[in-house]
Amino acid sequence: MTRRLPRIGAHRRRSRRGDVIGIAVVALLMLALPLVASSSVINVGVYALIYALAALGLSLLMGLAGQVSLGQAGFFAIGAYTQAVLVTRYEWSGLPASVLAVAVTMTAALLVGLPLLRLRGHYLALATLGFGIIVTVLATESDFLGATSGIFGITKPELNNRTYNSPTEYYLLLVPVVLLGLWLARNIVESRIGRALGAVNDSEVAAESLGVDTFRLRVQVFVLSAAYASVAGTAFAHWLGVINPNAANFPLSVKFLLMAVLGGVGSVYGAVVGAFAVEGLDDGLRRLIPELLPGAVGEVQLIGFGILLTTIMIFLPGGLHQLWTGARRRMAGDTSAPVPEDEGEARLEPVADDVPLLAREGRPAPGTPLLEVRGLTKRFGGVTAVDDFDLTVAAGEIVALIGPNGAGKTTAFNMISGAVPPTAGEVTMAGTRVEGRKPHVFARAGATRTFQNLQIFASATVLGNVMVGRHLRSRSGMLGAALVLPARREERAVEESARELLELLGLGEDADRLAVDLPFGRQRLVEIARALALDPDLLLLDEPMAGLSGTERRELARLLRRLRAGGMAIVLVEHDVEAVLALADRVAVLEDGVRIALGTPDEVRHDPAVIAAYLGVEPEDEAATAAAEAGTP
Amino acid sequence: MTDLLQLLFAGLSQGAVYALVAIGFVAIFTVSGVINLAQGEFAALAGLVAISAVGSGLPLLAAVVLAVLSVALVAVIMERLVIFPVKRMTTLVSLILTLGVSTGLKALMLLVYGPNAEGLTPLTPGSFSLGGVSIRYQELWILLIAGVVSLAVYWFYERTLAGKSLRACAEQPVAARLVGISLTKASLLSFLIAGTVGAIAGVLASPIYFTSWESGLTLGLKGFVAATLGGLISVRGAVLGGLLLGVLETLTAGYISTGLRDAVAFLLLIIVLVARPAGIFGRTAEARV
Repeated sequence: MTRRLPRIGAHRRRSRRGDVIGIAVVALLMLALPLVASSSVINVGVYALIYALAALGLSLLMGLAGQVSLGQAGFFAIGAYTQAVLVTRYEWSGLPASVLAVAVTMTAALLVGLPLLRLRGHYLALATLGFGIIVTVLATESDFLGATSGIFGITKPELNNRTYNSPTEYYLLLVPVVLLGLWLARNIVESRIGRALGAVNDSEVAAESLGVDTFRLRVQVFVLSAAYASVAGTAFAHWLGVINPNAANFPLSVKFLLMAVLGGVGSVYGAVVGAFAVEGLDDGLRRLIPELLPGAVGEVQLIGFGILLTTIMIFLPGGLHQLWTGARRRMAGDTSAPVPEDEGEARLEPVADDVPLLAREGRPAPGTPLLEVRGLTKRFGGVTAVDDFDLTVAAGEIVALIGPNGAGKTTAFNMISGAVPPTAGEVTMAGTRVEGRKPHVFARAGATRTFQNLQIFASATVLGNVMVGRHLRSRSGMLGAALVLPARREERAVEESARELLELLGLGEDADRLAVDLPFGRQRLVEIARALALDPDLLLLDEPMAGLSGTERRELARLLRRLRAGGMAIVLVEHDVEAVLALADRVAVLEDGVRIALGTPDEVRHDPAVIAAYLGVEPEDEAATAAAEAGTP
Repeated sequence: MTDLLQLLFAGLSQGAVYALVAIGFVAIFTVSGVINLAQGEFAALAGLVAISAVGSGLPLLAAVVLAVLSVALVAVIMERLVIFPVKRMTTLVSLILTLGVSTGLKALMLLVYGPNAEGLTPLTPGSFSLGGVSIRYQELWILLIAGVVSLAVYWFYERTLAGKSLRACAEQPVAARLVGISLTKASLLSFLIAGTVGAIAGVLASPIYFTSWESGLTLGLKGFVAATLGGLISVRGAVLGGLLLGVLETLTAGYISTGLRDAVAFLLLIIVLVARPAGIFGRTAEARV
């Protein structure tokens, strides 16, 4: 049993209803509080609601982008200060001021995020920590912002000639804001964007190969997360009436983080539950500790935060949300048992070999050159893995790349698809230079790939995996996703086409299973279905036959022929030489990174260099024996 | 000119403290890929333990030894309780875990030692003037001891079997395990090193820069920046990064504004990460993947 952070969007189909129930329960509890609680408790509730927004933003960042910010309070403070300045200095009214405050904060987040999100986790965490400190320093140093004493006299908000003065009134004003925030967050998690980011967390290279621009999406989520913090900041400024550099304080960032983690990074409503729990704990500890230890002053409640953060991560990494889903699953009985290996093979309807499949308007005519590789070279230190490799692939042909183990086939694939930058050489896909750029550029040019060591999106269902493949064939963005309306129809269309594709590959019955629960061979087919969902002009398959049964191999070969008839170009790396020679139009042979032969299967079969390569290097290699047999008429 | 020399000297002694904290980051990161956010707290805790020990009548040297030993023990306990039990350590998990320890330690220091900042008695009080540059004896001690400790750590990694096996764990975890090096022992050892050098940094810095329950935050952040400047996996890089950061900070404080002093580290971090992401990130990636 491995411990891992459950992610937002994991177990998608089951969580969808869970989130709605969760949000409804949270809404009821929030609304019930003022009816039963004393004024001082409601006051705690007001802070809980305010902080819940900031925590929610952080939860999105952690759950969707897999990144952690230790400077959420910095953005909270920027929002609060902007609001305070606009309201007190320029006498703006609250609502337009808050719009500008959020815009200012998002701009700041964009400027911070652009350089930092290119880097991995710990740099962002520490840099955002530094960012929070900088905001504190700047606020303290700036006379315009009132230096250490801050900005005073921010009035309570007025709407429709009503002033929200008492804790209860302010509380009830905030509840709809938080619910709206929850609703938008949930929509984004369930959207095309959320699905793509979930895929990135499972396998970045696979998601990018399907056209997901990881960096761009991460920046978007980072900015969104800051926007949530700034809304919280504006609400905070109005409620407290004064804002000072403490608003950017590190302990506040820690508090936001604790709220998100306690509630469960795998859920959006968890952040709200976490906010109430942490605020309650905060208030309780502030009262309790000085009673137990007379003389204790300052932020002593932090001890509870520290202990809680650590114990949750060790014993309950999914937070309260994990308890909740665990209980629900026990009640419902676990239905996610893995498919037994012997449950049979993928069930395909027999169809003639040459019926075109997935032909599409605007596909390049057969024979049009699609992929041009020139002088591709990769050196790792002193080792040249691929040496001056040339290859041209035209629409409507199947090209096989074969060679002994370690010949550089996968490295060549990695360079062509953009996963690894080449040391030298050019790759042009449909007129676009793609070498050294990210895999999503390759995907955008109409080409994608599968992987030798499977890169299944482990936390998604089979259907979810394939739907990621439709990323480039759908377009709803963050805003559309948040507002749901325009995106819903597109979502339905995406799901429908994904299901059709699964039927085609005989995976229809597995659609709603978790992809990792399938046997190995069928996971390969899921990867192929996922790649086909992109509707590519060129498909790179890295050992697609490995792990498939005899029947499945024949079915796959038939599928590839039909795709070729539909005008698709296919390049495959394969060890099953016999299958390759029967299937491919042309075969390229690599040995020690050098292309030693290129031609029709017949030419290659009789090429002395090829025979020597297979027999001379690794005589016990299964593939070598196969090649030798195939080579002796 | 005298001003510049004065600033340079102050920067070097400040930077030597950062360098020691940075070595702590490097020691742990290379073995387990964990960025230990409690690294700064190790230093703060050592300072406070030493101050209170001196306050209760212990001789200075005994207090310093006590502080270093107790912080080393805290680091080892932390590894056993918080790092060891986690089977699948992702960046996110490790950051939250060590942040939890950092926060808990901070609050504990606040509860036990109160909110005020204090300075430890210097090893040698007073100062002297050399060509117009005023030099405190404690600053010389900082440079001397930090230099000796850095060399010792460097020698440990380069020359001893234990040090070499730590490096092996960092570069080839699987191969290291195959030849019989225990990753759990390596992780424990790395925390022991980090706790010890962090504690030494804390007791050295305290007489000049003072220590409070929350001084570990900025010290830790700057130690991280120093370690990042040096590539995050190199002891030598960490030392150079620390010295560079210290000097840049005092120059900024001296010539531009004292208030911006804390901003330098952050700006430097961003500039280096943006200008040389491949260099820095590429090397660490090769060691990890």
